[in-house]
Amino acid sequence: MSSALETLINRPYEYGFVTDIESDALPKGLNEDVIRLISSKKNEPDWLLEFRLNAYRHWLTLTPPEWANVAHPKVDFQDMVYYSAPKPRKKLASMDEVDPELLRTFEKLGVPMSERKALANVAVDVIFDSVSVTTTYKDKLAEVGVIFCSFSEAVKQHPELVKKYLGSVVPTGDNFYAALNSAVFTDGSFCYIPKGCRCPMDLSTYFRINNGESGQFERTLIVAEEGSYVSYLEGCTAPRFDTNQLHAAVVELVALDHAEIKYSTVQNWYAGDENGVGGIYNFVTKRGLCQGVNSKISWTQVETGSAITWKYPSCVLIGDNSIGEFYSVALTNHHQQADTGTKMIHIGKNTRSRIVSKGISAGQSNNSYRGLVKVSAKADDARNYSQCDSMLIGATCGANTFPYIEVHNSTAKVEHEASTSRIGEDQMFYFASRGIGAEEAVSMIINGFCKEVFNHLPMEFAVEATQLLGLKLEGSVG
Amino acid sequence: MSAVMQSVTSHDSYLTGLLPATVTAQTATPEWLTALRADAAQRVRALPFPTTRDEEWRFSDFSLMCKTTFAPAIAAATLTTADIAPFLLPEATHGRLVFVNGVHAQHLSSSSLPQGVIVTTFTAGLASETLRTHLAQYATFQNEAFVALNTSHAHDGALVVLGKNTACATPLHVLFVSTASTTPVATFPRCLIVAEPGSECTLIEDYVHLSTTRTASTYFTNAVTEIVIAENAIVRHTRLQRESSSAFHVGHAAIHLSHNSVYDSNSITFGARLSRYNLNIIQNAEGANCTLNGLVLISGRQMADTHTVMDHTQPNGNSAQLHKCIVDGGAHAIFNGKIFVRKDAQHTHSTQSSRNLLLSNKGRVDTKPQLEIFADDVKCAHGATVSQLETEEMFYLNSRGLNANTARNLLIYAFAEAIIDKVPVNSLKQRLSQKVSSQVGEVV
Repeated sequence: MSSALETLINRPYEYGFVTDIESDALPKGLNEDVIRLISSKKNEPDWLLEFRLNAYRHWLTLTPPEWANVAHPKVDFQDMVYYSAPKPRKKLASMDEVDPELLRTFEKLGVPMSERKALANVAVDVIFDSVSVTTTYKDKLAEVGVIFCSFSEAVKQHPELVKKYLGSVVPTGDNFYAALNSAVFTDGSFCYIPKGCRCPMDLSTYFRINNGESGQFERTLIVAEEGSYVSYLEGCTAPRFDTNQLHAAVVELVALDHAEIKYSTVQNWYAGDENGVGGIYNFVTKRGLCQGVNSKISWTQVETGSAITWKYPSCVLIGDNSIGEFYSVALTNHHQQADTGTKMIHIGKNTRSRIVSKGISAGQSNNSYRGLVKVSAKADDARNYSQCDSMLIGATCGANTFPYIEVHNSTAKVEHEASTSRIGEDQMFYFASRGIGAEEAVSMIINGFCKEVFNHLPMEFAVEATQLLGLKLEGSVG
Repeated sequence: MSAVMQSVTSHDSYLTGLLPATVTAQTATPEWLTALRADAAQRVRALPFPTTRDEEWRFSDFSLMCKTTFAPAIAAATLTTADIAPFLLPEATHGRLVFVNGVHAQHLSSSSLPQGVIVTTFTAGLASETLRTHLAQYATFQNEAFVALNTSHAHDGALVVLGKNTACATPLHVLFVSTASTTPVATFPRCLIVAEPGSECTLIEDYVHLSTTRTASTYFTNAVTEIVIAENAIVRHTRLQRESSSAFHVGHAAIHLSHNSVYDSNSITFGARLSRYNLNIIQNAEGANCTLNGLVLISGRQMADTHTVMDHTQPNGNSAQLHKCIVDGGAHAIFNGKIFVRKDAQHTHSTQSSRNLLLSNKGRVDTKPQLEIFADDVKCAHGATVSQLETEEMFYLNSRGLNANTARNLLIYAFAEAIIDKVPVNSLKQRLSQKVSSQVGEVV
């Protein structure tokens, strides 16, 4: 690495601030009483409390997974606050009534929740420390029959739907963190697209972790009925803290016959400082079920934040001719660790899946792709194509690939390829000789490298993502 | 639940049952070897029997072998050269070591090699400092139960030493023959190859069987091979595993490369009910060069697991790997290829390709090419495919008048031939080709 490639400045995490809002938090620790308390605070029906308690009892029998290629001190699950909600206020009639402090927070985050968003045609369900504060454009969506609301509201308004689908994709005992989430989740988003409906706008949720000591356990459930389509956007930022925060979300997608769900994420949580102090632990379970024939689920993610990312958005392809897609850019810098990838489980006939994963490692970070492509014995004519490319910036980072390919059917066609490269001095020289500075050159190379994935992001996300990568890499190349 | 627990416990002590009755029984065993074997035996007692819960054994379930009790093979059966004639290689008459059921058979071996090339057994080479310096230094047994088990038995093995700047023109053939026996036996073949600076050789490591009936052909081979390649030395290593289809085979090879040395490997697996081959290669100095070719051709209820580790620790190393599996019937092929590029190993160039042909719906392929890279100025790529025969290719051959069956056989044959063709001994290449065509069916 040339000296020119080593002198970029470190831009501090822009979103590192704590909003001073009184929050209503439970004491630290987890036991059945805490779960009962969460459930009663949220006025939940008995079946949901039962669901939580079952998950909790199962969780007690599990141990945290250790197979991932990440290292971190043991998480003390008793040293954590499992519920914190902004102090309840009267029902809000309009945006003007929302806590101005909160609005300023979103302003700093660049979440244009007000009229600007209307022009952008996006409804935002804002999650602020576990409790949904306000939801916009619900009426407009209600016209076409789309239900898009906070999880707690869904439990009250549409208990039959929640009961039917909750835990149907990620069972309570699926894994350690999913079980924990099932026991203590406080809120999240619920989305239901009725039969034959093409959702008129991209649905979007901005998550934000605010209370310094509260682990965030959201739950997202999206159900796309027969012949429907929805594009869902999830974007994240978190304030700066030195104690590590655990984030264990569960996302469940269900696509019925001919339905399509497109799920896009840009994740930029606090990754710790350049010495690896602080940062979010992001241990997420995301899974989509292509239950119906000709259904399709597509995951697109841009992972740039978190101290540790442990995330494998998966597709279970049950319906015949169903399609699963995974497009990912994972960027790690400084001491970040990412172990991310996908699982494509082919069960139905003529199922297809496509994986495009781009990993970029810089600083002392470690970036792993871990993927599973499984073709079961009955999945005739299944097809998979996987491509995993890694780019290393600097000589102190690591890039790993762990692709598992399990084929039980002779008519399957599975392809996997991976490559590793770096930003070469010759490339930098080429740009320099054309009057393009190091920073801009790196940004252009990176964006070229990730183009295949960015192409699958919704327009506004694609623009953000391009800028985000450039911003995150400042200080590692130059 | 308790039944499960019990069976787990019994598996853990299973390998202990395969330990030698007493380590000191052999006469004239030097102290260092006795100590080494005792250490290894200690590890066998401490290490659990690998199960599918271990990541390294995730797909290969060897619990089946625990149903059989293997007795240690005692003396070599009385075989004549005629008995093993089908396995002899005309090119390798000058350097041949034959072991029958793990015991060296002097009358079947031959050694008339140029000066500087020593092909002998451990027993004969016990006094040699080379054996002491190198034995068990590369195939470490601390965490490998099967390596530990083999090491606890290490007293009679093949020792090949190539002196400085000695090129051995003819291939060296180390043949391990298993014969029919009334009770299942376990054998523990061991090879140590030391190639001193500037030397060169071609080595054939060959596992075969003479048993005819099914019951008599159940046996267990637990092999370990260590190859040390000094500066500028070249070793071409062909490993054939043609055990009986009801045998169990667990083999380990540990290869240690120095500056500008070359290691070429062709590993060919046809046999065994359950087999496992671990090939661990470490490039310990700059500029080493490795080519790894693998072919697995299995059917019926066979399972063949190949685990390779290519460890680039120093700059300017190269490695190219091509592993092919052909799976028919209810067979199960597993491939796990790890490539490590350590922090200092800049300018490494490494490629890996896993190609799998799955011919039957009951068959199964699990493949996991794995890259772990910690240096930035490297070129690394890997690829894996699992597929059946291409319909376009079938159509092409059909349209030229070949019937479906012939076309199929021809395509499979061609798929395998790409590896067979790399075997550096002509007579062996021909025999392997015949073996492939007899297994896949008639080719025009």
